[in-house]
Amino acid sequence: MYFQLFISFLKTGFLGFGGGMAILSLIQHEVLRYGWMTETEFADIVAISQVTPGPIGINCATYVGYTVTGSVWGSVVATAAVILPSLIIMLALCAIYTRVKARWSQNRTYKICMRVIRALVVLLIAHAAYSLMTPAMFIDWKSWTIFGITLVCMLMPLVKKNKATEVLSHPILLICLAGVVGFLLYYY
Amino acid sequence: MFWKLFWTYIKIGTFTIGGGYAMLPLIEREVVDKHHWIDGQEFLDMIALAQAAPGLIAVNSAIFIGWKIYGWRGVVATVLGAVLPSFLIILLIAMVFWDIHEYPMVEAVFKGVRPAVVALIAATVVRMSKNIFKN
Repeated sequence: MYFQLFISFLKTGFLGFGGGMAILSLIQHEVLRYGWMTETEFADIVAISQVTPGPIGINCATYVGYTVTGSVWGSVVATAAVILPSLIIMLALCAIYTRVKARWSQNRTYKICMRVIRALVVLLIAHAAYSLMTPAMFIDWKSWTIFGITLVCMLMPLVKKNKATEVLSHPILLICLAGVVGFLLYYY
Repeated sequence: MFWKLFWTYIKIGTFTIGGGYAMLPLIEREVVDKHHWIDGQEFLDMIALAQAAPGLIAVNSAIFIGWKIYGWRGVVATVLGAVLPSFLIILLIAMVFWDIHEYPMVEAVFKGVRPAVVALIAATVVRMSKNIFKN
């Protein structure tokens, strides 16, 4: 059982291109193939992975590992297996990146390539933000108000940099505040 | 340095809500702005590499930063830091609060948090765009 779990999550880690969501569908495939849980149980786990802190893929691996084996070791095996391929491939990419940068950083073509890549990355982040603007995430005008205020707080230091804007633009503080506001607006 | 990296990533891991991209504003704040471990351009390069490799963006970017700052020990610190909070919280939920996503109170809190997280990611776009053309 543990071996099967390890192999399944290793495969998921190797083939999961594009981050958490891509990995979830691969995990679902493995989980259903081995009959580890039903589709409904898995849907619940996905829902829980999204309302708990931490990377979604890690949440899901930990949860499935525990449910399948009924033991903490199942979680350890599944989580370690999903990380392992990342470790090998990312370390190789980091080594290549450092070498290329040291060797070519003054090269004109290199500079142009890097500008294009960086521009694409910014677009990628923009796309990530845009694709999160779904009716499920933004349920009413209050959601948009929270969105607007948070955005203003985050961008204030660009206009005026001082101690107050610095403190107010801290992501952790803003997430906590938004949680409190959500509790007050939607629970009462 | 090990503990500083570890602690920073524990913080980042705890407040990443909703997947890899939600981690970016926190990395920008802690790793780029506060500790100056990498600059804005390297931040964008990191995302390019993390997206190109298979696996979780959150874990991949943690490996990049750990490696860059403190070699393999750094990788151990950042990956453990990024994974541990979610690992422990999920175990607790799997063992005790397996119906947590159905609590009205939890749902209310997340109704507030979700749009804020989208705003944080959107702000990262604006804040980072200046790094595209800088030399």
